[in-house]
Amino acid sequence: MILHTLNRAPDSAAFRDCLRFLTADDALLLLGDGIYAALKDSSSSEELAVTGASLYVLEADASAAGIVNLLGNDVTLVDFAKFVELTEHFPRQQAWH
Amino acid sequence: MPSNAKNSLLVVVRHSPYGSSVARSSLEVALAAAAFEQPVGLLFVGDGVLQLIPDQEPSGIGVRNIAKLIQSLPLYDIETLYADEQALQRYGLDPQTLPQQLLPLNTAAIQALFSNYDHILSF
Amino acid sequence: MLPTSAFDGEGFLVRLSDWAPPVAEQIAAGEGIAMTDAHWEVVNILRQYYLDFDSTPAMRALVKYCAQKLGPGKGNSIYLLTLFPGSPAKLASKIAGLPKPDNCL
Repeated sequence: MILHTLNRAPDSAAFRDCLRFLTADDALLLLGDGIYAALKDSSSSEELAVTGASLYVLEADASAAGIVNLLGNDVTLVDFAKFVELTEHFPRQQAWH
Repeated sequence: MPSNAKNSLLVVVRHSPYGSSVARSSLEVALAAAAFEQPVGLLFVGDGVLQLIPDQEPSGIGVRNIAKLIQSLPLYDIETLYADEQALQRYGLDPQTLPQQLLPLNTAAIQALFSNYDHILSF
Repeated sequence: MLPTSAFDGEGFLVRLSDWAPPVAEQIAAGEGIAMTDAHWEVVNILRQYYLDFDSTPAMRALVKYCAQKLGPGKGNSIYLLTLFPGSPAKLASKIAGLPKPDNCL
């Protein structure tokens, strides 16, 4: 049960490393440039789906990027308050950056 | 493509719109060159294609809107925007939903584009 | 009248939200310009440009935008220079309360 965060685009080594260690018990919160990994028809979103991890995207960043309506159905948008709740729910956090 | 144009400039942008300030700077360089009536081409490669997504609303993160700035490019006579077709596919972006002056190019066409300009500025 | 602290060193309004028509008159007066309907037309066009494109235009873009919105008779540099002598894009942006043109070198 780890909360992972990723703020780098899917082309990055950070994304590759994150992908290797995600498990179905984990949650991944995407923020900054990390949000693009959840674009619904992208190769990265397929790779993330295979892990079984729960996917969260920071809403402020998704709105800025214009991708709120381009995200996959399995993605949950979160605001900053929900972000804090996630960190409370998961005892450990791993930041990929 | 201005095959014989003198002092034509290709600006290559490879950065996402809001991950850093590089995206805005690269567009401003293109606009500045165009303001001096130099023929300017803009090529969006890799993460740079993410700048082309419409409906950006960055007021929540306190920065100015890159998509709107891109819409002003025709007013600087930057009519054609070139985009990395492979990156569009990787991100699942449909060119039909992107700015209409967009021309997706494959790798060979991008290699040819590099040779078509007198100068290249890379961001 | 806004205090001088509302403006930067070059006379551009610091906060966009401070702008109002009387402020435009104040800035214009400081530049030796008496606002006419023709001036207002361009100033309003500039504010629309800022809303549309989230940026302040350089001269080239301003001319083309005016041509689109006001017709070719007003979309040319001579017309704009007559209204706003010297550097029309910069001067009219200042009166419109916009930030200094990004690519005004």
